[in-house]
Amino acid sequence: MKNPLPKRIWLWFAQTRVGRSVFRVGLPQSNLERSQAMVSSFLLHVQPAKVSRHALRASYTLGLGLISLYLFLILTVTGVLLMFYYVPSTEQAYDRMKDLQYVVSAGLVVRNMHRWAAHLMVLSVLLHMCRVFYTGAYKQPREFNWVLGVGLFLTTLGLSFTGYLLPWDQLAFWAITVGTSIAGYAPLIGPKVKYLLLGGNVVGQEALTRFYALHVIVLPAIAGLMVAVHLWRVRKDGGLSRPDGPEDSVQSIALGQLPTNKSYGLMELARGTTPQVGLDPDDEVFTWPHLIFRELLLFLLVVAVVLFLAVFWNAPLEEIANVVHPPNPAKAPWYFLGLQELVSYSAFWGGVVVPALLVTALVLLPYMDRRVQGVGRWFARERTVANTIFSVCLAVAIVLTIVGTAFRGPNWSWVVPWRAPPAITEGP
Amino acid sequence: MNGPSVGKFYGWFTALGLLVGLLVAVGYYRDEYRPWKDYQRRFIREEIRRATTPDQRLLARNTPVQIRQILLPELNRVDRCTTCHLAVEDPSYGGFPQPLAYHPLHDQHPFEKFGCTICHRGQGRATSADDAHGHVPHWDEPMLPLKYIQASCGQCHEAADNPAAPELARGSQLFETVGCRGCHKLDGVGGNIGPELDRVGARRSPDWLRQHFLTPAAVTPDSGMPPQKFSDTDIDAIVLFMLSQTGANLPGFYASMKVIPSASQGRHLFQQKGCLGCHSIGGQGGKVGPALDDVGLRRTPEWMMQHFRDPQTVSPGSVMPRFGFTEAEARALTDFLLHLRDQKVALSIPALMGPVDRGRDIFAKYGCAGCHGPEGKGGVPNPNAKTAEQVPALTYVADGYTKAELKGLIIKGQREIVPLDPHRPAPPLYMPAWGSTIRDAEADDLVAYLFSLKPKGEDLGF
Repeated sequence: MKNPLPKRIWLWFAQTRVGRSVFRVGLPQSNLERSQAMVSSFLLHVQPAKVSRHALRASYTLGLGLISLYLFLILTVTGVLLMFYYVPSTEQAYDRMKDLQYVVSAGLVVRNMHRWAAHLMVLSVLLHMCRVFYTGAYKQPREFNWVLGVGLFLTTLGLSFTGYLLPWDQLAFWAITVGTSIAGYAPLIGPKVKYLLLGGNVVGQEALTRFYALHVIVLPAIAGLMVAVHLWRVRKDGGLSRPDGPEDSVQSIALGQLPTNKSYGLMELARGTTPQVGLDPDDEVFTWPHLIFRELLLFLLVVAVVLFLAVFWNAPLEEIANVVHPPNPAKAPWYFLGLQELVSYSAFWGGVVVPALLVTALVLLPYMDRRVQGVGRWFARERTVANTIFSVCLAVAIVLTIVGTAFRGPNWSWVVPWRAPPAITEGP
Repeated sequence: MNGPSVGKFYGWFTALGLLVGLLVAVGYYRDEYRPWKDYQRRFIREEIRRATTPDQRLLARNTPVQIRQILLPELNRVDRCTTCHLAVEDPSYGGFPQPLAYHPLHDQHPFEKFGCTICHRGQGRATSADDAHGHVPHWDEPMLPLKYIQASCGQCHEAADNPAAPELARGSQLFETVGCRGCHKLDGVGGNIGPELDRVGARRSPDWLRQHFLTPAAVTPDSGMPPQKFSDTDIDAIVLFMLSQTGANLPGFYASMKVIPSASQGRHLFQQKGCLGCHSIGGQGGKVGPALDDVGLRRTPEWMMQHFRDPQTVSPGSVMPRFGFTEAEARALTDFLLHLRDQKVALSIPALMGPVDRGRDIFAKYGCAGCHGPEGKGGVPNPNAKTAEQVPALTYVADGYTKAELKGLIIKGQREIVPLDPHRPAPPLYMPAWGSTIRDAEADDLVAYLFSLKPKGEDLGF
């Protein structure tokens, strides 16, 4: 069969002198070359040469971790482009947003991509966490990677929250005012944390400078590092979690017991159930092309979705921030509206106890739930209790968020969104 | 190779690759196609059509299609209006359809110094018609209807007696005579029953203001403001004056343009600078300098101008100091002095008036007529007030009060108004305490005026 054109171009390039110098292995043609392609490439070597067939199942992972990573990459690229135009000054920030829209080539699309990718990333990271929970994938030996994942979730929220202020419009200003005042409800440290975040008691130039620095360097650096460790540990913990099947006759093998008729690269000497050590060879496939192709396809899909949103829907930009005219109601970013709804009942419980308990519970979860049954399957029967507790918490969070988003009007009173009262005109 | 074939992926790669390519193309088109480019090409075609020499034609043909903008760093504005309105400075485009029409009357207000939005409002940074004209969500400053354009003059210039903005001057005059200040503060002067009006022109739309004057309760349900009976032209003028009150704090150059020379501006300056300390009019004032009654006959305007700039240059040995008047101020003073032969102008200087006349001006200045009616004749409704549901007239205050009592009432006010029916809402209008606003001497003059209101020949009362 004749190869398709892109493949032919690739084949031709890969065997040229330049192509070989770059890729070392051309387009892999043998199993040896398929392994070499992975191992010899800096970008690919975080993945093993062969992966469990189970790890390829879209229905198992839903690709959510990878989608989060891709969104992070899109956010980095569009974010750097936006930095070329943005000035973190209360005098200029809003005007720069307008200039992006009206005079910068593709400025609006890039800003839209950044905005929608940011919202999507909060969502995909959250869903990724749900997937890991419902498949019991946080259990031994992956406990600490779950903790890292919780850290990444919080970092994602931090990135989104700090970015929210930067356009310096009414939406930004009041969302951050509300969001940081939720932080201020914590006893003892709350007001200090708020003061530290804002560089003062109210949102102003100091807050904008700090949020900008956090948004463009501190949090991305933390997130990048944690992503690297997170991925590294996936590899070192033996790839993605999978069920203990009868065919999975893996035992940990002490170094001294390794067969002597086979040589191992260091990258293969991972802890526990690595695909290379002890698994039935029939249950594995070569990473190139089976995993890599799927990953590339998913990347194209994510780019397509973000582009689609960005081309047809504009990121919001309200009036310039006005310190004396709060909108009524002033709302935090959507992912904090569940908290804001709780705060409306009780500042202490909603703003302090519940979020602190939630984060603590998430971090401690893998150390409390130590039974190893039910790993690698969605909604395993052995995990009914854990799944039920998690589902109830999730449902409550979703309901609170929806109520806070759509059912709360002026003075946080109950409104029905499809019968919203006319917007309150400001007092004379 | 083990595992299933990956051949099926090539189709997916092609499809998704094409989709991404298509989205990039759509995004590029939407970003690249902007209506202002069409307008610019239309302008260039018109220029080529009009060109008479090959050089002109070449120049027109080489006109770049690009964003045009007026940078106004002092005003913190960037006006890109000329991106579409390319011919605003070319009189030969007079009467041309928009967006290529000529903009007359800009010799005093050159575009490079003023831009467009400082007068017309709208969104200067925007480059699409709807956004630029500002009738879009989340933009507080839509374009001002041309009918009200003179409101913008009031941002830099005094509203009163502005000969270049007669509608604005009329609105200002109405504001003072109708008595709005009785309830509303403007520039720190006025009552506190209604809201301050310093920024009302930036907050309210023309339609809202018009509706509010005619039936206040229609737009502000619990408003206690009495409906105003304005004629059609009066309502336009007062709405226009309200629109001029934007509270805009304009920087240096623009703020210095406040005085537009006129005789009444000159009168105001004459009073303010204390000219009567040395000069006299009608026999009143100082004796150090010459009397000024007939100075308009003795001196030319040029002489006076030079005299204001530097007295020594035209009257060597004069003891009059150099006051450092601006040109506009000197011209206003000159205008005033030239008009001095007119008795009415001369007599309207407060220092030359009697207490009753001064009191009449103070009655107008603080807007007493807004509630108590012109000349204190009453008739303004105050629902549920025991006094016939009206604000009381002031014609007979001389019978009910001593001068000291009346002055005390003005200074302390009367917050509680006795209701007709205690079960209905309290009367909306009440007497504000004027103590913090009115000067003591002004209160005395006001009382003198109020006592003079009592019709003659009724001294006996009852």
